[in-house]
Amino acid sequence: MGFNIGSDGSAAVAGLGAVPAGAAPDAHPRRIVLLGNPNVGKSALFNALTGLRATVSNYPGTTVEVYRGRLSGGSAEVIDSPGLNSLLPLSEDERVTWELVRSVRGDAGAVVVQVADAKNLRRALLLTLQLAHLEVPTVLVLNMHDEAQARGIKLDLAGLEAALGIPVRATVATRGLGLEGVIAALAAARAPRNHLPMPEDVGPPALALLCGAEPPPQHLPAFLSRYHEALLGHADAITRRFATDGNSTGKAFSRRLGRLAVHPVWGWPILLAVLYGLYEFVGVFGAGTLVDLMEDGLFHGYLNPWAVTLFSYLPVDLVRDLFVGEYGLITMGLSYGLAIVLPIIVTFFTCFALLEDSGYLPRLAVMSDRAFRVMGLNGKAVLPMVLGLGCDTMATLTTRILPTRKERLLAMLLLALGVPCSAQLGVILAMLAVVPASAAMVWFAAVAGVMLAVGWLAARVLPGERAAFVVELPPMRLPGLQNVLSKTAARVEWYLKEALPLFLVGTFVLFLLDRLRLLDVVIRVGEPVVTGILGLPAEASAAFLIGFLRRDFAATRLFDMSRGGGLDSVQIVVAMVTITLFIPCIANVFMIAKERGWRTAAAMAAFIFPLAFAIGGLVRVFMRATGLGVG
Amino acid sequence: MATLPETGPPAAVAAHVTCPLCGLDYQPGGETCREHGCPIAIGGCATQHCPRCGYTMPDESRSGAARLIRRLFRRQPPVVTHTAGSLAELPAGSFGVVERLQGPPDLLARLTAQGLAPGVAVHVLQRLPTFVIEVGETTLGLERDVAAGIVLRQS
Repeated sequence: MGFNIGSDGSAAVAGLGAVPAGAAPDAHPRRIVLLGNPNVGKSALFNALTGLRATVSNYPGTTVEVYRGRLSGGSAEVIDSPGLNSLLPLSEDERVTWELVRSVRGDAGAVVVQVADAKNLRRALLLTLQLAHLEVPTVLVLNMHDEAQARGIKLDLAGLEAALGIPVRATVATRGLGLEGVIAALAAARAPRNHLPMPEDVGPPALALLCGAEPPPQHLPAFLSRYHEALLGHADAITRRFATDGNSTGKAFSRRLGRLAVHPVWGWPILLAVLYGLYEFVGVFGAGTLVDLMEDGLFHGYLNPWAVTLFSYLPVDLVRDLFVGEYGLITMGLSYGLAIVLPIIVTFFTCFALLEDSGYLPRLAVMSDRAFRVMGLNGKAVLPMVLGLGCDTMATLTTRILPTRKERLLAMLLLALGVPCSAQLGVILAMLAVVPASAAMVWFAAVAGVMLAVGWLAARVLPGERAAFVVELPPMRLPGLQNVLSKTAARVEWYLKEALPLFLVGTFVLFLLDRLRLLDVVIRVGEPVVTGILGLPAEASAAFLIGFLRRDFAATRLFDMSRGGGLDSVQIVVAMVTITLFIPCIANVFMIAKERGWRTAAAMAAFIFPLAFAIGGLVRVFMRATGLGVG
Repeated sequence: MATLPETGPPAAVAAHVTCPLCGLDYQPGGETCREHGCPIAIGGCATQHCPRCGYTMPDESRSGAARLIRRLFRRQPPVVTHTAGSLAELPAGSFGVVERLQGPPDLLARLTAQGLAPGVAVHVLQRLPTFVIEVGETTLGLERDVAAGIVLRQS
């Protein structure tokens, strides 16, 4: 393929004699920390080095978790870290990497492997020179070397090694090229050198900061930009000496597609096409075809009758009803969780992984920035919002990528309030399919209107700032099949561990209430609200009660009621609006509490639940008064 | 956008046009239409015809719609020198060199960490729905407010 890695490990350590011996780690490092800018192939190198899969993402800042693995053929621990642009942290997930680097500094058996995009040496050197400042033993890996070659960029690896005093290796991690060179170079890791003088007002304070001095926080960002500017000056000088300029002919198609996806005109049809594809795959194929297969075919056709037959040999009524009765763990809990929810989850997360790995999501952020501005957010919030269509709890965790406290809080509120997760969305789409189109529009308008209004209001009420929108657009890439599948599998596994137990608990609670004759009490207590305000049959109270646990469970229950012909189109829309505006599930409340504290979580719940019923009531009045959507 | 010279033939109507079909160089605006008895020719329509083969081309000097469609399909716009104060004033397709950055300190710390610093050449790819710029090998999307804080060097 025209690829050539300069030399093996031994030849490259030229010019290392000048490095003080004290900077050298043990011959065989026990701990290897991978760090680098976003989208340089860090996770790909991690996978190649460990033989273990980790999440590889194209969206800057998605790798919130730190991945660990063992070096294949060795015992050293390899740690993958979230991408970052500067060692000194500005956000919560940059802090993770920062703590890791500091721990390497105090550990003689640890080295940093800095992964760089060979096409973008200048930005990588900003980090290398900070590592030099901090005197951390480092190996510099210039990844995606093939792409640099295709662009005509010539890199003088030996010259870079001599100038920086550290091993520099070229790799193509996705194809496993150059890995032996990296492993062989680990023992030769040194602290990088920076010969160029640092201005007096920048160098010493930066060192103090890097060594852990707590700065007066209000001056930190201003100082950081001067520090970065000084380092970039050095990086420019080194880049000019050891790398030639490339031409941008390489990957012309990917470049053009990347440009079209944010084009002021063509961007919109592309966005619509993506949404339509999502709807067809998740809504029609997942929630329609697959759910029918699983539910009518597998569960109603085979599993449920088998289970009923099996349990009919049991003499104890109570146990039999517990598993296969009206509120049975198998007939209700498992069949809701596996037959209705699972196909939707799998199809959604497959789509999401495809979007994520293609590099489209940051472009979606560019297209949607203006809409999010209204809600006091910026385009970056589109990632948690789209992920929320998969699982709101998972999305709540990713609000960490938003830069200010206010934006994180706003995004969490909007997720909990209005973004239906895929399990629920599937059920909603199925239910809305039986009402007139105008009724479905009422549902959409009510939910979107409430989100916009609450976002607009909350943005004005909550204290704090909205950060300016800056997002890096990585090149568009063809997603790797293995990566998409493994990432989907990992997320589905997470979801099943998270959701299935709650489905079973929910069913069990219903079963208990039913056995203890408390269900009638709940229905009677809930009647004024459910029948009085929402105009639904009193039995829907039980669904809403379970909605406190998981709203998709409630939606599924209401779906069941509507299929029996128990609800007219106004009732269906009212029920769907109310349940959509519910907090997604009890796990979501826990997640909000974990991220922002119990007081915030309680306040959100106290705001959202009454609002959901109030809006549901308003929709009912509106539909009855106008006759819109009555079918 | 006024500084952008249009590429291609249509802007200069007086110059000749090369027929894409038969390759004839001809001067548009001749008497061909009226001679052929086309009823629209009196008011003047927004197309022009090759006198040899009759191939029809839009006359972009007369048709706003044709110009708009051309803009939608335009490849890389031509490189333009400019005297803009900030990046926010640069037309799409043009280059500038950063003089200094202004804005909230934490924003500046982020921009510099992404390689945007004084002395760097910036290429504006588009201005809507947000600005999209290239800084070396890095592509950034940013809001107008941010672009307005990127002060350019006067050449």
